[in-house]
Amino acid sequence: MAEQNPLPKVVLVGNPNVGKSVLFNVLTGAYTTVSNYPGTSVEVSRGECEIFGVNYEILDTPGMYSIMPITEEERVARKILLAETPHAVLHVIDARNIERMLPMTLQLIEAGLPIILVVNILDEAKRLGMQINLQKLQQNLGVPVIGTVMRRKQGLAELQQAIADYASVPHKPFTYGRDLERDVTLTAALLKGEYRFSKRATSLLLMQKDTDVEQLVERGEPAENLAELMEVVRGIIFERRADLHLQISMERKKICKNMLADVVTQAEQADEPFAEKLSRWTINPWSGTPILLLVIYFGLYQFVGGFGAGTLVDFLEGSLFENYINPPVVDFVRSHVSAEWLFELLAGEYGLWTLGIRYAVALVLPIVGTFFLIFSLLEDTGYFPRLALLVDRVFKKIGLSGRAVIPMVLGFGCDTMATMVTRTLETVRERIIATILLSLAIPCSAQLGVILGLLSEVPGALAVWMISMLLIFLLVGFLASKVMPGEHPVFYMELPPLRLPQFRNVAVKTLTRMQSYFMEILPLFLFASFILWGLKMLGALEGIIGGLAPIVRAIGLPNEATSAFVFGFFRRDFGAAGLYDLQTNGLLTPTQLTVAAVTLTLFVPCIAQFLMMKKERGFQVSLSIFLFVSVLAFACGWLLNKILLTTGVLA
Amino acid sequence: MNCGFCGKEIPAEIGPGEEKNSCGSCRGGCRKIHCPYCGYANPAPGKLLRRILEKKEQKD
Repeated sequence: MAEQNPLPKVVLVGNPNVGKSVLFNVLTGAYTTVSNYPGTSVEVSRGECEIFGVNYEILDTPGMYSIMPITEEERVARKILLAETPHAVLHVIDARNIERMLPMTLQLIEAGLPIILVVNILDEAKRLGMQINLQKLQQNLGVPVIGTVMRRKQGLAELQQAIADYASVPHKPFTYGRDLERDVTLTAALLKGEYRFSKRATSLLLMQKDTDVEQLVERGEPAENLAELMEVVRGIIFERRADLHLQISMERKKICKNMLADVVTQAEQADEPFAEKLSRWTINPWSGTPILLLVIYFGLYQFVGGFGAGTLVDFLEGSLFENYINPPVVDFVRSHVSAEWLFELLAGEYGLWTLGIRYAVALVLPIVGTFFLIFSLLEDTGYFPRLALLVDRVFKKIGLSGRAVIPMVLGFGCDTMATMVTRTLETVRERIIATILLSLAIPCSAQLGVILGLLSEVPGALAVWMISMLLIFLLVGFLASKVMPGEHPVFYMELPPLRLPQFRNVAVKTLTRMQSYFMEILPLFLFASFILWGLKMLGALEGIIGGLAPIVRAIGLPNEATSAFVFGFFRRDFGAAGLYDLQTNGLLTPTQLTVAAVTLTLFVPCIAQFLMMKKERGFQVSLSIFLFVSVLAFACGWLLNKILLTTGVLA
Repeated sequence: MNCGFCGKEIPAEIGPGEEKNSCGSCRGGCRKIHCPYCGYANPAPGKLLRRILEKKEQKD
């Protein structure tokens, strides 16, 4: 039996949430199948449609942001483009974000694919005052451009006509800057094989170390040519190791910007939307820094420090636990347990209930709860990527880039998880510097909350603590970047829109983070209480406290403060809770409280963070960081104590 | 879901509790979804919360 001719294919590509699936359903109706792409768990929808008497097979690919794939979805979408020989590729974009999405159109055109650009959601763009001259855009791009509102089937007839009439013509070349153009041309000239993508696009992907394309080239090139080609590509990669991705991305953006200059007009509006204005203000250093200070003041100082560590802790710890929960629990244990060691284990000074549960539930949970609420709120507005851009210049001075804001911001939640996230930084040098700074100068949420709560009651103390931490953060980062010289990291990112936080998102994120945090700390707090109880029973705790006491006295603190440092080794927040107990018992002067807060913040990373450091950076680096941080913490505490006593600032 | 940092959509199979995607930092099961584009650790609702949310979504 003769094999039937396959139907001409129409492939749909584009970012997620641009109306690709709506277009697929409009084109295909009910005749669709969904199956996993061979060898993957990624679903691809296929369907058929008839346009002017011709049947077509329609493929809906998973969402992709670029033809250089990162996720499995993008890899599958690109594989489809590489494997199929489509009659037409419909690139669906959201008209409102045309400038952000057009660079991918450029990539697809550059690849030599039979592109039809579908500018969807035109109605919303018009509502926002955008006028898009589609004819001019078509002229500039050299491919068919159709405007649609697919959920109302507007533009469907024109699109069907464009698919039926599609005749592939050589695409317009888009020219990059002179250096990049030279490298692309050189590589493309050396490619002798036949590839689905144009030689120009294949060269660019090779230069960006795309492993799938590398394999294709290895298979497609004659052996005598391959060695020379790869040698040239390796040379370009090495020469452009610092900024190739950035340069390609920036040049594409520039081409798109120029192309859209006479295509998109924004109707005169009396006022620029407030979100746009605010977004600009948050990135500009002159307005962004005061906004950051306002966020810190109201979000951290007033809400977490004042409300969380003050009002909520006073209610839970000082009132509920102290007056109503602890007395009956302790009485119950005393009346039912005759053995003194067991009583001590359950409800004694370092008992599972009196220390472990009380610290976790009454002290730490309300603080991290308020912290995570404000954190999730800021996250949902899209403020964090703007913060990354704001601090990028300062971070460059300490060997990092704005990208390091991700682990730093997460470190204020939990340093252990943030240490793991340092693996997303580009260079080993950045990862080590970020790990040092996390273990040294970034307090975790509970520690931060307790410190804010305690120091806010002493005039000037919080300012001294903040200035000390900022100076140490910058100084250590600066010195570390000098000790470990290396390339300057490059950072760029597309900003998501600034938006009003959604109640549901904020609530779910806050609850999830609180649950996650509580599940993590409770067993550790109980374990720490158990160890402390064991050490007390064996008489070893006094020995440890006695051993540490001279160091603690040297930085001007009373012997009783030693226990907070012992606690701090188990968990940073456990140590901070110990500091809370010391202060509420009236054992610290304002100077001592400030010195203790600075030293405890800098003091050794907790056990969990140390283990994560070992996993990420290796034992030797982690041990070096541990020793460096411990010595530096007490050195800074000693120096600060001398300065405060000499100047009498907090006297 | 969309990443809380870069705003890009995280593919559905990079979900919570997936053994293959676990980074090992959460005790008692994975509760984070790491964005493949920027590396940000997004919180993943626990089983109970997920069930409540799914029920609510079905209702809506």
